[in-house]
Amino acid sequence: MNSQHRVYLQPTPVRIWHWLNAFGIVTLIVTGVQIRFPEYVVIFASYKSAIMLHNTAGLVVAASFSLWFFYYSFIARNMLKTYVPNEDELRHGILRQAKFYLLTYFLGWPNPHHPTPENKFNPMQKSAYLAIMFVLVPLVSLTGLLLTNVEPLRNLIILIGGLKILVGVHFLLACCLCAFLFTHVYLATLGHTAFAYIKPMWTGWEEEPETEQNAHDEPVSNHR
Amino acid sequence: MRSFRLLLCCGLLLGLTAFAAFAAASDDCLACHSDSATVGKAFAINPAIFDTTVHAQLGCPSCHTSVGAGHPDDGLPPSKASCQECHAEVAKEYAASSHHQNAACSDCHNPHQVRGPTEVSGADMNRTCSGCHELAAMATTHTTWLPQADLHIGMLPCISCHTASKENVITLYIIKRPAAARFGRFELAGYNELKALASHGKIEGLIDGNEDNYISLAELRLFNSDQERTGLRLQGMMTPETVTHNFQILANRRDCSFCHASGPAARQTSYLSLATSDGSYRRLPVERGAVLDALYGTPDFYMVGSTRSTALNYIGAVIIAGGLVVPIGHGTLRFLTRRNRANKED
Ligand code: HEC
Ligand code: HEC
Ligand code: HEC
Ligand code: HEC
Ligand code: HEC
Ligand code: HEC
Ligand code: HEC
Repeated sequence: MNSQHRVYLQPTPVRIWHWLNAFGIVTLIVTGVQIRFPEYVVIFASYKSAIMLHNTAGLVVAASFSLWFFYYSFIARNMLKTYVPNEDELRHGILRQAKFYLLTYFLGWPNPHHPTPENKFNPMQKSAYLAIMFVLVPLVSLTGLLLTNVEPLRNLIILIGGLKILVGVHFLLACCLCAFLFTHVYLATLGHTAFAYIKPMWTGWEEEPETEQNAHDEPVSNHR
Repeated sequence: MRSFRLLLCCGLLLGLTAFAAFAAASDDCLACHSDSATVGKAFAINPAIFDTTVHAQLGCPSCHTSVGAGHPDDGLPPSKASCQECHAEVAKEYAASSHHQNAACSDCHNPHQVRGPTEVSGADMNRTCSGCHELAAMATTHTTWLPQADLHIGMLPCISCHTASKENVITLYIIKRPAAARFGRFELAGYNELKALASHGKIEGLIDGNEDNYISLAELRLFNSDQERTGLRLQGMMTPETVTHNFQILANRRDCSFCHASGPAARQTSYLSLATSDGSYRRLPVERGAVLDALYGTPDFYMVGSTRSTALNYIGAVIIAGGLVVPIGHGTLRFLTRRNRANKED
């Protein structure tokens, strides 16, 4: 333990946001399954409660998305740096990271990426989160908002191509999010211990076994 | 009612003479009564509509049995049959409902414009209620328990929830934006509007390309993908096939699963309903399951829980399975190579 190196990786708002989202998205998936397949899946007593819960959870996730967006763009001001891979990462980083996950991880080599508060995601994570946070979540929220206001927003829905297309997009995006969730949870257990990546999402602090690259021992605060 | 029909048939059999006499009598009456200038607006009857109703076959004198010889100058109002004389069953059923204190038959029906439930649009059915129950106000009162009440009231006749009317099907209507209103609300397209668009003057041809009086999924898709040009869309409503008159508040209609949780099996049957020149609607059967088509069958009609597309379900399953590849594939290799990491970490 004494060779552990601690980094303050996840500031409080990010953690609140993350767990709110996690809870919301799991609720949405579970209720969503009942809403789409009511004759097979009955988790909540009445269909109406499934719909109401789904709508509420949808609003919570949409609101928490806005919170996140606001936090990163106006308070932390490091949205682009955190989520958009730079040229080097695109050219080499992704490959390096993919090589780690697909090969060197199994050989027991260390993760080539060392999270710091200003660069906490590895290049693959960045690309994945970019797609999730800038495409999937906003689109699924927007289609959801349209679906809960069909009559008032009819013209907009017609502009998109119709209710069916909207529902189809909403459903397939939700499936993508669900697929992402499995991968996300699994990859979160790939730290040097199964909980090494999950704990910082709860406490904020990531503990990394000391490696030759990590010189500074001082916890780094995130506020800049 | 059945016995009445029997009587009617016998009547017909007994001789066309009698029937011709009725028809002639109707014509006599309509000589004045088709013209609002002669009889006044309140007493005018539109023969174009009346003649196409089943009531026309009865003739005016069946219901107005005693018309004074000096009519109209004698000042004696002709007799008016009461509906229950011939519609005893309906009348009995309606009398059992507390709503009979609120509205009489003729508050909802004009005896000279009667139509069967499949010959009117869903909007027409709701128009019979809207005189006393304003639709916008109903949307407001129903929102207290019904999400998107405006949508529900628009896409459901009130009677599907407030009577035990049975055999709900999906009926498709052609709608269009009123001319010059680029962002206006779509409205039911009238007969004349459609006729102007139809190439050979037959409005069926707008959808039913091969004129077989049957709408296949392919024809629906073609119609829907052509709407940029025609400006026509299809609106779906869930309408009952048989109508009952036991108006009441039905507890099970508060339970959304009455309509939403039946699964696609219950939503196979649908019809296309086209306006006709006499103001009624004519239905053409639509290919089974068309309402469940992923995108282009009925682009604007979707009932959560019952009109999902199987094709999309499969695509979704593949996506989710894709998400499971990483945990399962990687997880297996991870397990098999766990020694490598255990060595390194010590
Ligand atoms: C010569 C023209 C004429 C003919 C033919 C005629 N009506 Fe009328 N009818 C009138 C007029 C005018 C009135 C309005 C009388 C009034 O203002 O009270 C009227 C009124 C009525 C009314 C409404 C009475 C009321 O006060 O509610 C009925 C019912 C009616 N006619 C039935 C018939 C029937 C049935 C026939 C055919 C057998 C017929 N009429 C033939 C001119 C005609
Ligand atoms: C199926 C029965 C039936 C037939 C057929 C019928 N009527 Fe009537 N008619 C009625 C009833 C019932 C009323 C009273 C409606 C009310 O109380 O509002 C009525 C009312 C009227 C009125 C009064 C104005 C109004 O609309 O309330 C006129 C005029 C009239 N009928 C003329 C005719 C003429 C002319 C014919 C034939 C072309 C005809 N009716 C055929 C049942 C019938
Ligand atoms: C003289 C008999 C008679 C009277 C009176 C009568 N009807 Fe009818 N009505 C018929 C017959 C016959 C039919 C066709 C068979 C059927 O649907 O029962 C019919 C059909 C109807 C239909 C269905 C139309 C369709 O196309 O299926 C309605 C609605 C209707 N009547 C309403 C009324 C109302 C409302 C009254 C009272 C104002 C009334 N009728 C009075 C004989 C009558
Ligand atoms: C509160 C409104 C309301 C009242 C009151 C009402 N009806 Fe109806 N009725 C409807 C509606 C809505 C339909 C379905 C649409 C249509 O056929 O016009 C209908 C349909 C009918 C039909 C056609 C049914 C079929 O299956 O062909 C008949 C016949 C009929 N009504 C007779 C009557 C009679 C007789 C009375 C009076 C005892 C009456 N209605 C009272 C609303 C009403
Ligand atoms: C002639 C006016 C009139 C027409 C037309 C009419 N209603 Fe009503 N209705 C009333 C009145 C009055 C009441 C009692 C006050 C209230 O609840 O608004 C009522 C009450 C009701 C209620 C509440 C019953 C209860 O048990 O509390 C329902 C449901 C209803 N109507 C449905 C309908 C439907 C569906 C139609 C159309 C097919 C219709 N009404 C057409 C006048 C009308
Ligand atoms: C999805 C089913 C559904 C539809 C569609 C629907 N209703 Fe209702 N309605 C109900 C139920 C359930 C209640 C009882 C609500 C409660 O207990 O608070 C109700 C209550 C009512 C009431 C009495 C309470 C009030 O709000 O005034 C009236 C009147 C009424 N409806 C009329 C209508 C009319 C008119 C239409 C068509 C425009 C209509 N409803 C469409 C299900 C429906
Ligand atoms: C009598 C049948 C009926 C009942 C009862 C009913 N619905 Fe609906 N619902 C419909 C119809 C029809 C539509 C309109 C579909 C369309 O036009 O696309 C609809 C649409 C919806 C939609 C919009 C779905 C979408 O994706 O477009 C929602 C959400 C919904 N209903 C929820 C509910 C809830 C919650 C309840 C119970 C409180 C309920 N419904 C009760 C028939 C019903």
